Amino acid sequence: MDKILVVQPEKCTGCRTCELVCSYTHTGEINPARARISVFSFERVGFSTPVVCQQCTSAACMAVCPVGAISRDNNGAMVVNHDRCLRCKMCAIACPLGATLYDYVEDKMVKCDLCGGDPACVKLCPSGAISYQDANAANFTKRKDYAARFKDVYEEVG
Amino acid sequence: MKILIDGIEIEAQPGETILEATRRTGIHIPTLCYHEAFGGQGSCRFCMVEVTKNGSSRVVASCTYPVNDGIEVKTSTPQIDKIRRNIAMLLYKRAPNSLFMQTLYKEYLCTENNLVEDPYEKCILCRLCVNACAAMGASAISTVMRGTDKRVATPYDDASAACIGCAACAEVCPTGCIEVQEDNNIRRIWNRDFTMVACEECGKNFATREQLAYIADRSKQEADADELRLCTNCRRKVLARKLETFNG
Ligand code: SF4
Ligand code: SF4
Ligand code: SF4
Ligand code: FES
Repeated sequence: MDKILVVQPEKCTGCRTCELVCSYTHTGEINPARARISVFSFERVGFSTPVVCQQCTSAACMAVCPVGAISRDNNGAMVVNHDRCLRCKMCAIACPLGATLYDYVEDKMVKCDLCGGDPACVKLCPSGAISYQDANAANFTKRKDYAARFKDVYEEVG
Repeated sequence: MKILIDGIEIEAQPGETILEATRRTGIHIPTLCYHEAFGGQGSCRFCMVEVTKNGSSRVVASCTYPVNDGIEVKTSTPQIDKIRRNIAMLLYKRAPNSLFMQTLYKEYLCTENNLVEDPYEKCILCRLCVNACAAMGASAISTVMRGTDKRVATPYDDASAACIGCAACAEVCPTGCIEVQEDNNIRRIWNRDFTMVACEECGKNFATREQLAYIADRSKQEADADELRLCTNCRRKVLARKLETFNG
C-alpha cells in the first residue's frame, strides 16, 4: 500500500516549519518560496493548513506530460526525470492542487517526492499536523484521488 | 554484455546506444542534438566516438550507434577532438549571435576569422524544438528550405493554427533563439498572438486557452473545471480556504 502525506488542519498552528524543512532538505537553502509544501493561514478565523501533493492515483501531471518525464517511484511518489523534462510546465498548469512548481533557481519542475519514503516535514512538524499514512486510510473523505476530494470540498461548501 | 569505455569495463543492455551506456558511467560525451526525451537524432555529429571491434576502428555517432558485445569505445582521441572542433567552428559560423555557440567556439579553441554568414542568426538546427512540438501533438514547426537557407519555421511563416503557445520549443532550445514575448495579456510566439487566461482569483495570466484545452484533453478534466480557472498559487490558497470552511 502506497502512503501519502495526510494533513490535519485542526492541528496546524501555522508555524511554517514544514516549508523551511522542505526547502532545506531539497535545495540546501531555507527559503519557503522553494518548498514543495505551502502553508496558508487565515488570521481572521485563526485557521492554518499545509497544502501538498497527494500523489493522485490518476495524476494529471503525469497524464499531460508530453514526454513521459513524470512517473511513480517505488514509494508511490510522482517524480520528475529532469533530464527528460522539456520544462514546458504543462504539469504545473494541470495539477488541480497547484502542487507542481517551477523552481527558477535550478530551472526545473519540482514537487513533493515524499523525500524518498522518509518525509522530513512529517518528522519535524512540531504539532503532528502532517502524517505519513496509507493512501486510503484516515483521509478527508476516504477517496483515493485527492483531486476528486478537492472537488468534493468545492461542491460541499461551494 | 560487456563493453569497454575509455578503458573502463561496463555492463551494457542490448538495444541501448553507446551514449546511453556511457552516461551511466558518468563519463561525459558532448552532444548538441540529443535530448533524453527524444533519443538520438544523429544529425549534429558532436557526439562522435571511436569504436574498435576485432582490431578495426571507426568513428560513429554515439547517440544512435547501438552497443554490441566486446566493443571498445574511446570518447576522446585527436581525430575526434578535431571533428568536434570543426563542428563547433561550423556551427559558430552559422549561429554567431548565440551565447551558446560563442562559448562553444571558445571552449573548442577555434580561431578562424571571417566566418560569419548571418551575424543575427542563433539557430544551430538541432531540431530539438521540432521534436518538442511534435511531442506536444502540435507539429506546428518544421525545418524548411535547404542548404544554408535551412531554418525552422511554421508553414509559410504564418501564424500556425496548430500551435498552442506552450513555448516548449523555446524552453528546449539550447541557444535561446525562439522568441516569446509577453505583453499584458498577449503571448506572441512564431508570429501568432495568444490571449492569456487570467487567474480568477488574483488576475495573473497563467496559460493560453489552447494550453488549457490540451490539459483538459489529456488529463480528462473539464476545460472549465474550477481548478483550471486559477493559477497554481491560487489553487493552493483556494483549497486551503475551502478546507477551513469544511472543518467548520
Ligand atoms: S515541464 Fe517537464 S515534466 Fe512537466 S509536463 Fe513538461 S516535460 Fe513533462
Ligand atoms: S509554442 Fe507552438 S510551436 Fe512551440 S512547441 Fe508549443 S505548439 Fe509547438
Ligand atoms: S530553434 Fe533552437 S531548438 Fe530549434 S533547431 Fe534551432 S537551435 Fe535547435
Ligand atoms: S548528439 Fe549525436 S548526432 Fe547530435
